[in-house]
Amino acid sequence: MTDCGCDKAKKDLEEYLHHELQAVDAADIREHLETCADCAGEAKVGVVLIEAVQRACRETAPEELRVQVLARIRELQTHA
Amino acid sequence: MPASALIERPVAGPVQGTDSTDARAVDWAAMTDDLELSSDTPPRSFEEQALPFMDQLYAAALRMTRNPSDAQDLVQETFVKAFAAWNQFHQGTNLKAWLYRILTNTFINSYRKKQREPYQTPIEDLEDWQLGGAESTTSRSTRSAEAEAIDHLPDSDVKNALQAIPEDFRMAVYFADVEGFSYQEIADIMKTPIGTVMSRLHRGRRLLRDLLSDYARDRGSAAQTPPARSTR
Repeated sequence: MTDCGCDKAKKDLEEYLHHELQAVDAADIREHLETCADCAGEAKVGVVLIEAVQRACRETAPEELRVQVLARIRELQTHA
Repeated sequence: MPASALIERPVAGPVQGTDSTDARAVDWAAMTDDLELSSDTPPRSFEEQALPFMDQLYAAALRMTRNPSDAQDLVQETFVKAFAAWNQFHQGTNLKAWLYRILTNTFINSYRKKQREPYQTPIEDLEDWQLGGAESTTSRSTRSAEAEAIDHLPDSDVKNALQAIPEDFRMAVYFADVEGFSYQEIADIMKTPIGTVMSRLHRGRRLLRDLLSDYARDRGSAAQTPPARSTR
């Protein structure tokens, strides 16, 4: 393991990808990723993983659910 | 204009055209012009505010219950509870997080118990090596290949992998990666310390990544099988 910021970058990569770092720390990692192919590759896998999960989890609620929920709420409203 | 003026706006009830002796309503109406907050005055109804989250809640419910019928019931119950508690919701705070908190509570209290899921060991007690950390085995040259392979996997593989990881990990990943909730918001929704959120997220993503890399490898080796028909 080199002493070029890899330790810090690897440790904080998840927090970086989830925008949980302070601006200063995020800037450090961003800078490191520009020069370190190893860590940049790791970051790329992390981003692809997030995007894959987002893609796979897109759903549209069935129309019958929409109808049922509206009916339930309107029923509760009139009995309130 | 004092900042508190923004917070003190009426939570419910029509603002305009009401009894002019209601000083607060009059003040608010006057303020609106200055602040250009026209889009959300008067306060919108439950239906207008909450129902647009139905697709998202349904998607989360599907990941929780793992079947469409339970997911529909869970979402319906969530909206009914949210409607009943609507006067407890503070306008201007995070409605999406509030709805997810109700969804998660409802799931834990009424659905998790009846799910035919074998008891899961408290996986947070497992050491990292037991979860199979692949960091050392993934060399630099294969990382871009790994990223590309994951990127090309069909959604069904990603869903299967999500279903395969422990529920607490799955939901932490879902809340962070799909919904974009902050760690603090996830901690509030899951009622756990933020350190637990980070651990679930880290381990969940690690498991997911390893599973997806496995799937990609299987698909890759299947694709490389020579075609049955020869050209000669």
